[in-house]
Amino acid sequence: MSVDPEGARLTVAQVLEPLARHRTDEVVVTTMSVVRPWGLLSSSELDFASADSAMGHAADLALGIALAQPDRRVVCLNGDGSMLMCLGTLATAVGVSAENFVLVVCDNGEYEITGHQPVAASGRVDYAAMAQAAGFRTVRRFTDARAWAEAVPEVLTLTGPTFVHLVTEPGHQGPIGRSGDERARYLQQSLAEWSETLRRALAVPL
Amino acid sequence: MAKRTIDGLTRAGITHVVGIPDNTSGALFDAVMTHPLIHLVTVTREGEAFAVAAGLWLGGASPLVVIQNTGLLEAGDAIRGTAQRMGAPIPFVVTGRGYAKMWRAGITRDEPRTRELLTRADVDSTALLTEPTLDAWGIPFRRCDADDDPVAAIEELIQSAGEIRLPTALVLTRGLD
Repeated sequence: MSVDPEGARLTVAQVLEPLARHRTDEVVVTTMSVVRPWGLLSSSELDFASADSAMGHAADLALGIALAQPDRRVVCLNGDGSMLMCLGTLATAVGVSAENFVLVVCDNGEYEITGHQPVAASGRVDYAAMAQAAGFRTVRRFTDARAWAEAVPEVLTLTGPTFVHLVTEPGHQGPIGRSGDERARYLQQSLAEWSETLRRALAVPL
Repeated sequence: MAKRTIDGLTRAGITHVVGIPDNTSGALFDAVMTHPLIHLVTVTREGEAFAVAAGLWLGGASPLVVIQNTGLLEAGDAIRGTAQRMGAPIPFVVTGRGYAKMWRAGITRDEPRTRELLTRADVDSTALLTEPTLDAWGIPFRRCDADDDPVAAIEELIQSAGEIRLPTALVLTRGLD
């Protein structure tokens, strides 16, 4: 099912606020256009910004955390452009039966932070159908903010791998840096420093 | 030999082998698949292997990446943007396609990379580009050739990555099995 260009869409705030409200001890990996908005809602040391331009590898990085931490749920807030760069991760997640892995694709149809360029086949790719075909155990698709908000508690407890396709409106985020000027806590450290922060939060011996 | 390798990985505390098998590493992947302690993560592209391994390390596991040098050449930004920027001590084994051909042709890695050389039918440019690429990407590496013990080399690789605290490579130009 392609995205109806005139149909309902969620704003980034409508995507993130219910998740922030219901999130407890899950690791949340963000990338691209949701990095800053999530970092303004959450200052948890269990957050991780895959924001250093690794060509779409947030989902596979999050999958690795999930495999190392099987008793903890790991949520990846991915973009459609990033997902397209690493579609193979759908098969990898199924191959390892990652029951604690929740992959959320925020489909705004564009590369927002590099200047709103459309992704390939913008609005015509059914990411939920792709995940279903790859063998994800649970697949959901939302275009309505209320339905998503009501579903979040269930999404965070389902046996995965779980895939959520959210049809979203583009925002206004620009390129992401790491410095003390950033308001999001996880962008105030280098990736290496924040990696140690997350590992401490996960009680990994350093 | 795969059993010896597995024993070495166990001694070194490796928890996951992540990568894509080829003729050289296939026996190792087969052995890991049925191993009770080391988990196998077969990925779909080599860049993905480094992101998965970086995530595993974040979560407290000790992964080893195993890929072929052809795949290494596609994995650059994944290594840079995940494991390297994170300072993650990810050891990785790169099986060396094309080395025998390169050596038979009397060519070394320092040969000027001219159009003539890069397009020669009797030269596999993958081998030609492997070590210069690792150099250019700032990845410490050593090579394990026919006269070297691959198990000892892999154990040294794992130790070295831990000391350097960066992704670190072993280019394997000989077989494991």
